[in-house]
Amino acid sequence: MLTLAHFLTLGALLFCLSAAGIFLNRKNVIILLMCIELMLLAVNMNFVAFSRFLGNLDGQVFVFFILTVAAAEAAIGLAILVVVFRNRQTINVAELDDLKG
Amino acid sequence: MLAEYFPVLIFIVISLVLGAVLLLTGGILGKLLGHSQPDDEKASPYECGFEAFEDTRSKFDVRYYLVAILFIIFDLEIAFFIPWALVLDELGTVGLVAMFIFVIELVIGFIWLWKKGALEWE
Amino acid sequence: MPIYEIVFYTFSLVMLASAVAVISVRNPVYAALFLVLTFFSASAIWMLLEVEFLAIILILVYVGAVMVLFLFVVMMLDINVEPLREGFIRYLPVGLVVAGLMAAEFLLVIWTKSRFGPEAFPSPPPHPEGYSNTQAVGEVLYTNYLLPFEVAGIILLVAIIAAVTLTLRHRSGAHRQNPSRQVQVQRDERVRLVKMKPEPRQEG
Repeated sequence: MLTLAHFLTLGALLFCLSAAGIFLNRKNVIILLMCIELMLLAVNMNFVAFSRFLGNLDGQVFVFFILTVAAAEAAIGLAILVVVFRNRQTINVAELDDLKG
Repeated sequence: MLAEYFPVLIFIVISLVLGAVLLLTGGILGKLLGHSQPDDEKASPYECGFEAFEDTRSKFDVRYYLVAILFIIFDLEIAFFIPWALVLDELGTVGLVAMFIFVIELVIGFIWLWKKGALEWE
Repeated sequence: MPIYEIVFYTFSLVMLASAVAVISVRNPVYAALFLVLTFFSASAIWMLLEVEFLAIILILVYVGAVMVLFLFVVMMLDINVEPLREGFIRYLPVGLVVAGLMAAEFLLVIWTKSRFGPEAFPSPPPHPEGYSNTQAVGEVLYTNYLLPFEVAGIILLVAIIAAVTLTLRHRSGAHRQNPSRQVQVQRDERVRLVKMKPEPRQEG
């Protein structure tokens, strides 16, 4: 018997994993972007579960918008990453410290 | 409703089992029947007789990436079309105008990037 | 046979395991491929919730497009991974503690007092025959959410412009064909007829 709590647990665990991933891969921007995608997936999981169990479709529409924005964000984020790599020959977060006073 | 997707589940299971069986039998039979004595020369990357010039992971050109980005964006645009097409009858003119504005927004982008030369391959 | 539960737990396990792999593998190419697996399992779980439209959009947009983008970038940048891994061991305890605490809090909220249990949220009845999830989403999306829909179009437009401006770089010195110029060329631009008197052959 699957209840709403099962799906929420799944979303929560996924969110914790991606938060841990941000801690562990602090140097690698590509993995950081992947962790952000995972976080958005965890949030979407909650939206979808609530939408189904409440019988309310607004949650699904919201997930659709989140997917749109997340895809645009990934595209622009990776484009910025490409430009950074072209100018600096590195994507190590620790070396991108030009703004440090 | 969900029962309609049961064949898909069966397909997934069959393909997983088939892949695992083939990989395992290939690996195990290969280990048992063949005899492998790899050395440095045999295991080195082979490039038609001479030493390999460079790493196998060569850099992609950035233009592939631009095509992929544009693909994503127009892919999402198509995703918005699917539910719209199903409910267009109920929406009537409002839906038509709404989608028209949406398409105009993206056509502006499309014309701009065409003029900019982002689709040219030089 | 509780096939519904079996499918749910299988795909959940695959999803969480591949999420662990995403954050811990050394090679970013593998990380991107495990991310594909995570999204695929999530799509299967959404399918269990009878959210078919979003499940298929997730496959189309994420597995089909965003992951290709990630793979392109990983391939394109040709990165030396080793320096990026430093600090992995150092931050492992902190990351595990933070993630563990967060997970404990989440689970405490979710499972105590059966806030989200079967009494508070009874299982929704399965959709009737002939119900179309895509159509239902469309009915809400194109009536109540018309303005956000147009704003989404603007966001996509901004994404196009930003991506092209950031990455497009015209190579100087590239020779390009201009087909319309080639077609429009006139005879006079290519051939010049010169009238001249015949010269006597020079005896060598």
